[in-house]
Amino acid sequence: MMILSDLARVIRSKNAGPTLLTVDVLFADAPGFARGVAALTVAAVARCYARRPEDVRIIAVPSAHAVKIVLPRSVPAGAPGDRDAYGAQQHTPLLDLIV
Amino acid sequence: MSAFSRLAADWPGTDAPLRVLAASGQLGLGIPKAAFDAGIARAPHVIAADMGSIDPGPHYLGSGKMAAAPSMVRRDLAMVLRAARDLDVPLLIGSSGTAGAAPHLAEVAALLRSVAAELGLAFRLATIAADMPRDMVQAAEHANRLAPIGPITAQIAPSTHIVGQMGQRAFATALAAGADVILAGRACDTAPFAVVPVLLGYPKGPAVHMAKILECTSLCCEPGGRDAMLATLSGDGFSLESMNPSRAATPLSVAAHALYEQADPTRVFEPEGHVDLSAARYTAIDARCVHVSGAVWHDSAQPSVKVEAARPVGHRVAILAGVADPGFIAASSEILAAVCDLVAEMIPQTQDAPWTLQFRRYGIDGVLDWPTPPTTTPREVFLFGECIAPDLETARAVAAAARQHLLHWGFDGRLCTGGNLAFPITPPELDAGPAYAFSLYHIMQLDTWDALDALFPVTLHDIEKDRP
Repeated sequence: MMILSDLARVIRSKNAGPTLLTVDVLFADAPGFARGVAALTVAAVARCYARRPEDVRIIAVPSAHAVKIVLPRSVPAGAPGDRDAYGAQQHTPLLDLIV
Repeated sequence: MSAFSRLAADWPGTDAPLRVLAASGQLGLGIPKAAFDAGIARAPHVIAADMGSIDPGPHYLGSGKMAAAPSMVRRDLAMVLRAARDLDVPLLIGSSGTAGAAPHLAEVAALLRSVAAELGLAFRLATIAADMPRDMVQAAEHANRLAPIGPITAQIAPSTHIVGQMGQRAFATALAAGADVILAGRACDTAPFAVVPVLLGYPKGPAVHMAKILECTSLCCEPGGRDAMLATLSGDGFSLESMNPSRAATPLSVAAHALYEQADPTRVFEPEGHVDLSAARYTAIDARCVHVSGAVWHDSAQPSVKVEAARPVGHRVAILAGVADPGFIAASSEILAAVCDLVAEMIPQTQDAPWTLQFRRYGIDGVLDWPTPPTTTPREVFLFGECIAPDLETARAVAAAARQHLLHWGFDGRLCTGGNLAFPITPPELDAGPAYAFSLYHIMQLDTWDALDALFPVTLHDIEKDRP
């Protein structure tokens, strides 16, 4: 059994503007990318973040061996109650995803 | 003759290599000197830097304050200004003073003037304001011409500053007016890097793609960093090289960087159109340089501007406390809720004076609102309380009451009757100043390109020697 943090070379999150969060998962090569794409389904990512599937957008970028995930932020960046102004630590729920 | 007119008059054509040096993606937070000097030694034709972003949150836009320390801004400005005037090449700086509103631009312009006086430099400075007229934004809202980007509600009236992101057109106007140095208010990150190549006839797709990568300097490298980065445009492509020899731009590292901070991996939207990266090609020149081509530019039919604003939401007081008692940690969710309820009874939340109190438990759910609790109880937990109230007095009262009741709260099986909290400092409540929230992150549609240009007025200042 392999998990995403063993397979991917980069798993990073960051704001894409103050209202959206983007998570990039970068793989070293085409086989890794193919395995990652298969695991990073809308349903699987929605489960990791406890979000509704319709809030999750997944875009595969084969040329960069990358998968981009876009989620709406629960509050705009820096608003009262925000936990992560830059959104830089919101990648962690994906680390243990089985691939 | 301005630095740009001299460049344009002599320019042999787009087969000639045009070197753009990105000095900094965050001017004022420290330009690493060795890599910058190495970049200057390559005789760039343009020096550009980005100084701001919406990323650090609503505080800077709302308050009109810079994220960088003025002394560091002076240091970085002195480095880029001296180099640009020595080489007599255009210097372009976008999003002055973090958020690029009027007070930010004024503060950076004043620092630049004082640096110029100290260095004894004479040149033509252009400042470009990016403040959006409030009544115009309100009219756009009423006419349904203001669309949110993601989940955010427009609140125009209470906003302290409203800015729009200028594109290349505003910079081009300033260059045409003879500016040697441009300090822009809020600008889209790519504009100061892309405008000179585009004006010299280099194709806009690769020029904007180059700018998109270059605006973060060496972040696109392996390992990434903040060192100056050099782009060389030629024909329909460009090459990239970090000015720190220990950082390598590789096809994969550069392609991956094109995804960074973008919701759409293949299209980068700009004020004047968008660049399509789906046919972009990245090839290694050697172990640490990459050649890039294939990006395609599409002009937008209708002008629009991305507008940003922040509004005050009250006064913030933070509570800082640690916990190690396993009984308290196990019951912390119920205890915190009970304390918040008790304080609400003592200090009523009215419609005129609403206040909020929220706790994050670092070790359990501080960074993320995890869908499931941790599998093992953490040995220690850090409690961060955030109180926001209409005035400092109320925020302090709420925070102090919450802290004291939390300290002595009784719970089933309690052993630690001396107190529940370990305070790292006293007072354990910190006044964090006025709090802000974003109140606009929208696209405003405009009728004409003239209307767009009018939003970003260019002011020229002739900086003379010995006259700060």
